[in-house]
Amino acid sequence: MFFRILDRLEEILIASLLAAATLLIFVAVVHRYGTGVSFLYPYLIRFHISWAQELSIYMIIWVAKFGAAYGVRIGIHVGVDVLVNQLKPPYRKPVVMFGLFCGALFTGIIGTMGASFVIGLYPTDQTSPDLEIPSWIVYLCIPLGSYLMCFRFLQVLWSFWWTDELPHYDPGHVEGVDADAAAKELA
Amino acid sequence: MSSAFIFVLLIALMLTGMPVSIALGLTVLTFMYTMTQVPIEAVALKLFSGIDSFEIMAIPFFILAGNFLTHGGVARRMIAFATAMVGHWYGGLGLAGVMACALFAAVSGSSPATVVAIGSIIMPAMVKQGFPKRFGAGVITTSGALGILIPPSIVMVIFAVATGGSVAIDPEGKRVLSASVGQLFMAGVIPGIMLATMLGLTTFYRAWKNDYPRMPKATWAEALQAFRDSIWGLLLVIIVMGGIYAGIFTPTEAAAMSAVYAFVIAVFVYRDMKLSDVPRVLLSSASMSAMILYIITNAVLFSFLMTSEQIPQAMTSWIVGSGISWVEFLLFVNILLLVAGNVMEPSSIVLITAPILFPIAVALGIHPVHLGILMTVNMEIGMCHPPVGLNLYVASGIAKMGITELTIATLPWLLTMLVFLVLVTYIPELSLWLPRMLGML
Repeated sequence: MFFRILDRLEEILIASLLAAATLLIFVAVVHRYGTGVSFLYPYLIRFHISWAQELSIYMIIWVAKFGAAYGVRIGIHVGVDVLVNQLKPPYRKPVVMFGLFCGALFTGIIGTMGASFVIGLYPTDQTSPDLEIPSWIVYLCIPLGSYLMCFRFLQVLWSFWWTDELPHYDPGHVEGVDADAAAKELA
Repeated sequence: MSSAFIFVLLIALMLTGMPVSIALGLTVLTFMYTMTQVPIEAVALKLFSGIDSFEIMAIPFFILAGNFLTHGGVARRMIAFATAMVGHWYGGLGLAGVMACALFAAVSGSSPATVVAIGSIIMPAMVKQGFPKRFGAGVITTSGALGILIPPSIVMVIFAVATGGSVAIDPEGKRVLSASVGQLFMAGVIPGIMLATMLGLTTFYRAWKNDYPRMPKATWAEALQAFRDSIWGLLLVIIVMGGIYAGIFTPTEAAAMSAVYAFVIAVFVYRDMKLSDVPRVLLSSASMSAMILYIITNAVLFSFLMTSEQIPQAMTSWIVGSGISWVEFLLFVNILLLVAGNVMEPSSIVLITAPILFPIAVALGIHPVHLGILMTVNMEIGMCHPPVGLNLYVASGIAKMGITELTIATLPWLLTMLVFLVLVTYIPELSLWLPRMLGML
């Protein structure tokens, strides 16, 4: 149950942050050109959105950190698996397990370093340049995202140990493309 | 010594099949921990600051735009338009497929996405018309690769990001900055149109020799109708390229604008996508972007390590000192990238090799924009052949064909691409003429 909530939260977080960042840049551009239109100028000039660029960058970085964890769950991180896949199953298994273990190790180390960095930043009153939010909140994505990713690697490792199956991402799968109907129309 | 250690460790880790990003990161950690005095906390900060740039944000926005277009019926209308234009010539739907891929490539920055968008519609239609399956699959696999050559292109953004901070000295001793995203996009136009034409000619020739079916010639009214239907998608080309060229948007802003535009087109104008589909598109775009950004962060770490070990500088002075000409060097670059294309996907290859190749290339008098286009073409070819060519896997999923059979099917077009690679490599003006004419260089 807890895992299901975590999965959903992760998905909602990255999807909505991506949407928000895109809209924010869109609004900033419209605002920039809108202030050039004389009758809109008095209304638009009241809003300052000079912080938009910074905020959208931070949102995308959060998407990157948490999305990377989600990516482990769906198997989107590809590696050089040409050689490994040639191995016989009893040899392949330890190699793949080693790879997954390294993933967990790396993200675990980064998470810990990130955490100590954030803890060091917490007592200071350092803020981000435009938004002026405390820096430690901005950097919080490193420990949180990395620990989550570490957890995802361990999850995959666990299920691979028992079931010999890895999550597989299929780039050719497109939802909503009705190929047959479209093909009929052409032919 | 230490540089040999770095590369041996990196290759050893990568061969275990772990994600490239993790292999890069672990190499850096191991090296820093055992061999340098660099404070290791700096690494955590770098993982944030490495992608803390507005330029990189173009990648998630272009991916999002591309996904909306793939799902949203833009591809279908572009195919109808292309069929009305060229379907009555030899090659019929195949030729229309090449043109549709080129058109879709002009609104999308990724090449597997182009294969999916165009291929999943046109391949079944071709089989129904009596084309051999191999022919259709061969056309789409290779033409889909236009996605990263015709701007906008995610690979070009990655090249600009990977070489962005580095300093290079040209033969006259002047400092040279790397290519900007806008310059690379403009430079991709002529090579892109040229490759589309060459792939079209190959398609035409093979269809003419085997007498494959052609479409009835569309009347002017039909052609006009098809054009009007696809106008919303085609307008996006003008928004992105025109906007960047005229200085209305930065490339990143253009990417965000096209994502919003593509969303409106897909949901409200063509209505091929329901609002309830939007979260799924957002999620798949977010995970794809996160994957690329995660490689970027770790590659930034890796190139930080290389720079602090002076590896690019050492290689540059070694190569310049050995008297290798730019012709030989580019031959070597092509071979290196084609070999790398056998084992890795494009963003990793560009991120790892570009920071090393860029200063050497500039020192030999090669223009950064030329290098960027050349690397992009190499990446295209890598996507079309086994063992890791992503286009091939996507196309084999759509065509329900095995990889081996599909590889044989793509051979004529793959050879065309190799000829094109030689042209782009040794005629720099193909890439440089247009941006220079527009005053962007």
